[in-house]
Amino acid sequence: MNSTLLTQKLAQTASALIIPLLITGCASSGVSTPKGRTVQEMKADERGFVAGTGVESQDLVAVTDKMARSILSVPEIANAKGVPRIVLEPVVNDTRFAFNKDIFLTRIRTQLNSKATGKVRFLARENMAALEKERALKQSGQVTSNSDPNVVEFKGADFFLTGKLQGMTTKTSKGTSDYVLYSFQLIDPRTSDIVWEDSAEIKKQGLEDAAYR
Amino acid sequence: MSTDPNKPRAAWTTIASIALTGLLLWLGSGCASSSSARQTSWPRTGDPLVDGRTAISNAPPKDKVLWQCRTAAVAIRRGQVPEAKAILDDVLLSIESRFTGDRSARKSRSYFGDESKKRFIGEPYERVMAYFYRGIIYWMDGEPDNARACFRNAQVQDADSEKKEYASDYVLLDYLDGFATAKLAGDGSDALKRATNSAKLSVPPPYNPKANVLFFVEMGHGPTKFATGEYAEELRFKPGFSETKAVRIRIGNQLYTAEAYDDLSFQATSRGGRVMDHILANKAVFKSTTDVAGNVGLISGLVLAQNRSTQEVGLGLAAAGLLSKIVSAATTPEADTRAWDNLPQYLSFAALQLPPGQYTAQIEFADSPTSPIARTVRQATFTVNDPRKDIVVFVSDQLQ
Repeated sequence: MNSTLLTQKLAQTASALIIPLLITGCASSGVSTPKGRTVQEMKADERGFVAGTGVESQDLVAVTDKMARSILSVPEIANAKGVPRIVLEPVVNDTRFAFNKDIFLTRIRTQLNSKATGKVRFLARENMAALEKERALKQSGQVTSNSDPNVVEFKGADFFLTGKLQGMTTKTSKGTSDYVLYSFQLIDPRTSDIVWEDSAEIKKQGLEDAAYR
Repeated sequence: MSTDPNKPRAAWTTIASIALTGLLLWLGSGCASSSSARQTSWPRTGDPLVDGRTAISNAPPKDKVLWQCRTAAVAIRRGQVPEAKAILDDVLLSIESRFTGDRSARKSRSYFGDESKKRFIGEPYERVMAYFYRGIIYWMDGEPDNARACFRNAQVQDADSEKKEYASDYVLLDYLDGFATAKLAGDGSDALKRATNSAKLSVPPPYNPKANVLFFVEMGHGPTKFATGEYAEELRFKPGFSETKAVRIRIGNQLYTAEAYDDLSFQATSRGGRVMDHILANKAVFKSTTDVAGNVGLISGLVLAQNRSTQEVGLGLAAAGLLSKIVSAATTPEADTRAWDNLPQYLSFAALQLPPGQYTAQIEFADSPTSPIARTVRQATFTVNDPRKDIVVFVSDQLQ
C-alpha cells in the first residue's frame, strides 16, 4: 500500500472513529454517569460504591453486633438475680468525623432487646419529662391509673452503657489513612466500676483523584 | 517515471478528511460549551441567597457544590442557620466522596479535558471553610464533640501541602479543637500549644472551660483565583482584603475584643503547588509541542507540495501537520479558576463567661483597635439559661 493510500486510509479511519464518539459524548461531555444510577437496596453491612475513610453503616453494624454479643457474656448480666436495668449515656465522638452518635447505642439496645429478650432492660431516661408529666396527671386525678401513682416506680439504673470513638489520621501525598477505635463500657453507677468493656477497631485508607490534589 | 493523475486528488481527499475531523472536533467542544451556557442561564434577582438557591437547582452538576458553598455562606451570615446546615451537610458529603472514582476528575486530567469540567469540591482553603462553618453550627446545636470533629477534619484538609511548614497551620482550628476538648472535661493542652505555635496575627488566650457565650466573627473579602502562563495553565490566588482591622463586642458596660487568628489569603497562597499543576504543565508542553510540530508540518508540506516530484510527500506532511494543529487546538491546559468567592479574609473568635440572663451584644467592626467609630455594627440578642449548652453567635461584616 503506497503512502498516499495509507494516509488516506488513516484519515478516514480517524474520522470514522471520532464522529461516533462526538455524537455520543457531546451531550454528556464532562458529566459523570449522566444517566444516574437506579436506586439499589443494600444490606446495612454492605459497603456501597459511595465510600470514604470515615464512619459508615457497615462499621456501625459490625461494631454494634460485636458489642451486643459481648455484653451478654458479662457475669454481672449473665448471672444477675433479676433483670438488670441499663441507662444509655451519650457516646463521645473524639474522631474527625461528625455523625449521629445516638445511632450506636440505639443499635446496641435494639440488638439486645430483640436477641436477648428479658436478659436486660433499658430505661427510657430521654422520655423522663413526658413520663413525669403523665405521673403528675395521674396523681392529680386528671387521668386514671392502674396502680397507686404516689408510689415511686421509676427504676434506678443498675448500669450505664456508654462509649467513645477515637481516631487517628495520617494524610500524605500517598493518600489518607483513618483509624477509628470504638470502645464501649458498662459502668456500675454505685461503685463507678467498669464491669465490662469491649472495643473494635477499623482502619481505612484511600487516595483521591490527582485532579483534587 | 509515470505520474498517476489520481494521486493529487487522493491526497486532497485526505486533507479534506482531516479538515472535516477538525471541524467536528471544534463543533463538539462548542456543543458541550453551548450546553453549559444553556444550563447557566437562569434569571438573577440580585439577591445572592435567592439567586444561590436557583443556581443550586439549575447549575450544571459540576458546579453544584460551588453554588452550595456560596449560598451557605450567605445563609449563615443572614441567620438562616437551618438552611446553611442542610446545604453544608450536602457539601461535606460531596467532599468526602472524592475517594470514589470520579469520571469528571479523570477526564479533566486528560489532554483534551478541561480542568473546569471536573466536579468542584474546592481547593483546601475552601474545603476548610465548609467544615469550619458546619462545625460552628454543630456547636450552636449543643454538639461540641461533632463541632470538634469538623474542626479537625478542616485541619486535615490543609495537610500534605507542598510547603510542609504551612501544613495544617490554622490557629483557630487547633484552638477550637482544644477548647471543645476542655469543655468536655478532656485535656486540650496539646491543641492549645499547636495553636499558639502557629499564631501569626494574635496569640490565643488560655482556655476558660466555663465560657458559655462564643462569638465567631469574620471580616473582609477573601482570596480569589486567576490563571497565568502561556495557556492560563498556572493557578494563582489573588489575596483578599479587609477594611475592618478590629472587632469590639459591647455587652452593657463591658467591652471585649475578638482577635483575628487566621488569614484566608495567607492560607490559600502558602500551600505551594498542587499535583494538578504538574498535570496542567504537561498539557501545556504537549499543546505547545504539537502546535510547533503542526506549523513545521504544514509549512514544509505545502512547500514540498509545489514540486511535482515531492508533491505526494508534501501533501502527506501537510496532512500530518494539520492533524497536529488540530490536536494542539483541542488540548486544554487551562487551570480551573472557579472559586468560592464570598469567603472572608479574617477569622476571629472570642469566648465569654456570662451569668444567666438576657443580653444584647453590639459587635463593632472598626478600621483600627483605637478607632472610636465603627465602620459596621451588628447586633445579637441572646439568653443565657441552659448550663448544658453554650450560646454561639456568628457575625460577619458582610451579608453577601
